[in-house]
Amino acid sequence: MTDDRLRATPDEPIVAEGRRVPLTSPKGLRRVPRGVDELATEHLIVNMGPQHPSTHGVLHILLELDGEVVMAAEASLGYLHRGIEKLAESRRHHQVGTLLDRADYVSGIHTELAYAMAIERLMEIEVPEKAHWLRTLMGEINRITSHVLFVGTFGMDTGSMPTFLYTMREREALVDILEAVTGSRMMFNYVRPGGVTGDLPAGIIAKLETFLADVDMYLDEYDVLLTDNEIFGPRTKGVGVIDGTTAVAFGMTGAPLRATGVAWDIRKAHPYAAYAELDFDVPLGSQGDCFDRFVVKTAEIRESLKMIRQLIAGVPEGPHMAKVPKVLRPPAGEVYTAVESPRGELGIHLVSDGSDLPYRMRLRSPAYYNLAVIDEALAGGLIADAVVTLGSLDIILGEIDR
Amino acid sequence: MIWGLGFFRAMGVTMRNMFRPAITVQYPDERLVIPERARWALVHKFDESGRPKCTACMICERECPDDIIHLTVSGDAASGKHIDEYRYELGACMMCGLCVAACPFDAIEMSHEYELATPDPHALVRILLHDVDAASGKRAKADAPATQAALAADAAPDAARGESDHA
Repeated sequence: MTDDRLRATPDEPIVAEGRRVPLTSPKGLRRVPRGVDELATEHLIVNMGPQHPSTHGVLHILLELDGEVVMAAEASLGYLHRGIEKLAESRRHHQVGTLLDRADYVSGIHTELAYAMAIERLMEIEVPEKAHWLRTLMGEINRITSHVLFVGTFGMDTGSMPTFLYTMREREALVDILEAVTGSRMMFNYVRPGGVTGDLPAGIIAKLETFLADVDMYLDEYDVLLTDNEIFGPRTKGVGVIDGTTAVAFGMTGAPLRATGVAWDIRKAHPYAAYAELDFDVPLGSQGDCFDRFVVKTAEIRESLKMIRQLIAGVPEGPHMAKVPKVLRPPAGEVYTAVESPRGELGIHLVSDGSDLPYRMRLRSPAYYNLAVIDEALAGGLIADAVVTLGSLDIILGEIDR
Repeated sequence: MIWGLGFFRAMGVTMRNMFRPAITVQYPDERLVIPERARWALVHKFDESGRPKCTACMICERECPDDIIHLTVSGDAASGKHIDEYRYELGACMMCGLCVAACPFDAIEMSHEYELATPDPHALVRILLHDVDAASGKRAKADAPATQAALAADAAPDAARGESDHA
């Protein structure tokens, strides 16, 4: 008996992809029912997502499998597409921030900041020192909330549930601070063209200092639970390797690029806000595997803490909002501004026709370019490593699909 | 490295956390304090005699990015405006606070009412004001001198933007 489904005509010999498997196991047990003469393997197409819990959103990846080995992968996007770029064309400039908060919903300060910087550069608005200081401080707090969320979810991807629960403790403390300053836990609407909406309320610096007193101890505990762990290491080292040339060719930025050893950080290359005055390092990896991407992110948390300590040491005085025109009507022209979001280079390309609406707003979302490499990174690896590799890229579907 | 040491070190972390105070709260028996600036459902402000401070200037309706504030006004500025209805679609509101920032008369605010879940879809559309006379712009301004000064100092572009939009 042979399977007719594999043949075009009844006389044609069975031809299928893959290899022939022996009908008996090494112990002599038959693997197929009696009467079957031969058996061919074929590649299996598996849909990962769009509702897979490990994709951190609604991402759909088609995997072509040969047994446990991924032969090819193809990401299919657009499940979270809300048309933010098109919607922005019908919003006045100060209203666009509400949309951008929802693009990268884990680090809204950075998206708002990129847009505010675009308007400021077009209209040549001088931003007060206090506003720069507040933007940098809130941006770094926001970066830590994003990075600890990554550490927690990446721990879950690799099979460590407790880390997620502990990272939520740190995230909660910082999200509370963000809420007290901006008025919202995630959809901040805080950075506006010309400055920010409010100064720090009373008691926030004390709250931050309480947090900073304990956080290093907690970060050491993350290292015990993940970085130095005997299971986490082999699970991530040498997995999902991306070399520097590929990373640059794909336009990758942020921690996945720096894990390959390429030193590129917008905060250093094109300093904005108050970053030029801060003393911080850019952590680099060398292997470009999942472990290096994780280690770069955890090192960035420590760098952000270093920056926050420097920032709260000297609070500048002055207004937090520049004098901006009553209605924002940037002169006709175009501008590209980029910030280093927790995921990489987040850029806004803004075209203005002189009216109070953006003529065209294009969001360069870092996670989109980081995700593009997934086809290369998954091919040749094991299916069990697919989730780890995907998790290590730290994607946010909100900004990928926009 | 001794194989298995990581397990005991990780258990050490667990033990340490057993003796730390709990960070969770037992909602709804316990509640966290909402920060002063937290933005939740939109409400109107009223003066001492219970009259709304809203002057029906329509700036909030125009400022709303989602177009969820609908004002129906009769009368004109000379004889005094009358608010037939101030409709607010709570279910579609994203609490961005742009309406409050734009209001030149300090007549609306984002309240701390955060328990907004309801099985009744009609409860998600609120009529905040119904059949009331609007405050005159001059009186509202005189009532809130401190707020006006704060607006001018604190959010100059927001207040100014509203006025120029109105013009």
